[in-house]
Amino acid sequence: MIKWSIIFDNLPFLLAGAWTTLTLTVASMIFATVAGLLVGLLNMFGGKVIGAITRVYIEAIRGTPALLLILIVYYALPRIGLNLPQFPAAVVSLAVCYAAYIAEVFRAAVESIPKGQSEAAFSLGMNRAQALRHVILPQTFRRVLPPLANEFAALIKDTSLVSVIAMQDLLFNAKIIGARTANFLSPLIGAALIYLIMTTPVMQWSRNLEKKVE
Amino acid sequence: MAGSMMSQGKLLVVDDLHKSFGSLEVIKGVSFDMDFKERLVLMGPSGSGKSTLVRCINWIEPPSAGRITFDGKLVEPGKCDIRRLREDIGMVFQQFNVFPHLTALQNVALGPIVVKKTARKAAEVEAMELLAKVGLSHRADHKPGQMSGGEQQRVAIARALAMHPKLMLFDEPTSSIDVELIHEVLDVMVRLADEGMTMIVVTHEMGFAKEVADRVIFMDQGLIIESGSPSEVFEHPQQERTLSFLSKVLLA
Repeated sequence: MIKWSIIFDNLPFLLAGAWTTLTLTVASMIFATVAGLLVGLLNMFGGKVIGAITRVYIEAIRGTPALLLILIVYYALPRIGLNLPQFPAAVVSLAVCYAAYIAEVFRAAVESIPKGQSEAAFSLGMNRAQALRHVILPQTFRRVLPPLANEFAALIKDTSLVSVIAMQDLLFNAKIIGARTANFLSPLIGAALIYLIMTTPVMQWSRNLEKKVE
Repeated sequence: MAGSMMSQGKLLVVDDLHKSFGSLEVIKGVSFDMDFKERLVLMGPSGSGKSTLVRCINWIEPPSAGRITFDGKLVEPGKCDIRRLREDIGMVFQQFNVFPHLTALQNVALGPIVVKKTARKAAEVEAMELLAKVGLSHRADHKPGQMSGGEQQRVAIARALAMHPKLMLFDEPTSSIDVELIHEVLDVMVRLADEGMTMIVVTHEMGFAKEVADRVIFMDQGLIIESGSPSEVFEHPQQERTLSFLSKVLLA
C-alpha cells in the first residue's frame, strides 16, 4: 500500500511544506510566549478588572477550537477592514490561541513557588514588582521550560490547522501529492514521519528538563 | 497624644492587637511594649497565636484590629509606609525561606542592592562580613540546596541583618533544624543579643530563653497569659496552663 517512491520523489515538496510548518511554529511560539507571559502576569497582578478581562480571554480561548480562531482571523476580520495575508493571519491566530495556554503555564509556575519566598522578599522591604523580578520570576524560569517545550510540540502539530486557509504547510502539501498520485496513504505517512522528526526531540528535551528541575 | 507620650523611648508598642482568619480569631487582643535593646522570648503551645503575632508586627500578616507603634510612628497602611517599615524590621522564618536560585553571598546582598540601591560591590563586601559573622565565609558561593538547615538559617539571619534592622523577629528559627545543628543557629542569636540587637524570638528553647531573654511572654489561645523575667515565668509560673506547657517542653 505504501509506495516509498512517492514519498522520495516528492520529498522536496514535502520538505518545503515542513519548512513552512517550522517557520510558522517558531514565529507563533515567540509571539505566544511574550504575550503569554504578559497575560499571565496581568492576570495574577493586574488587579480585579484586568484580572477578570484576562481570565475571560484565557477561558474563551481554551474553550473554543483553534481552527475557529484561524477562520475568524482569515475570513471574518477582512470584513471589518483587517485584511491579513496568510502567514501573518496564521501567526496571529496561533499566537493568540497559544498565549492563553502559555499564560496558564506561567501562572502555574508562579503559584508553585512557596509563599515563604515572597514573604521573605517583602520582609526585606521589597515591593511587589521587586519581589517578582528578583525572587519569584528567576525561580519560575526553570519550572516553566518543560511545559513550554510541551506547548511547542503541541504547536508544531496544531500548525496543520492552517491548511484550512490553504497555506502550503506540511499537511497541505501531502494532500496535494495524494491528489496528484491518487495515493493518499504514502504522502500522509511521509508527513507523519516528518512531524515525528520535529516533535520527538522537543518532547524528549522537555522530559530531560523535567528531570533536571526535580 | 497621651499615647505618643507614653510610647516615647519605646521601640515597639503593640496595643490591643487582634487577628482573625475568616471567622477564626487567633489573636484576641494582645498588648505589650518593648524598649530598645530588649530581648523578648515568646512561648506557648502551637496554635496559641505567637507566630501570627510576630508576623503581624511587620505586616506580613495584616492585623485585623489594634494599633502598632514602631520607633515612635503609628503603623497604619496609608499613613505609614508598610514597605518602609519592613526595611527596619528583620525577619527570620521557621522554614528559612532563603532564595534557592542565589548563592549565600547573593542572598545576603540582594536586599541592600534592590531596596536600598546600594552599589553591588559595597553590598557584597558587607555581605561577606555578615557571612563571616555567622560563620559561613567558606560557603559564600554555595547555593542553599547544597547547605544544611543550620547553614541556611544562618544565611537567612545574615540576609536580615544586611538591612541594618532596628528590630529582629525570629519565628521559630530552630524548629526545622536537625537537633545537632540547632546550637549553630542559637550561638549566632546569642551573639546578636550580646551586641545589643533588639529582638523578639518565638522559640521553645528554654536554655536560650534563660540565657538571653529580658522577658518571657507566654501565650495561650490568642492571649498573653503570663509575662515576666525567665526565672519568674519558668520557676514560679502563676498560671496552670504555663506550668503544664513547661512540663511538656521539659519532658520533650
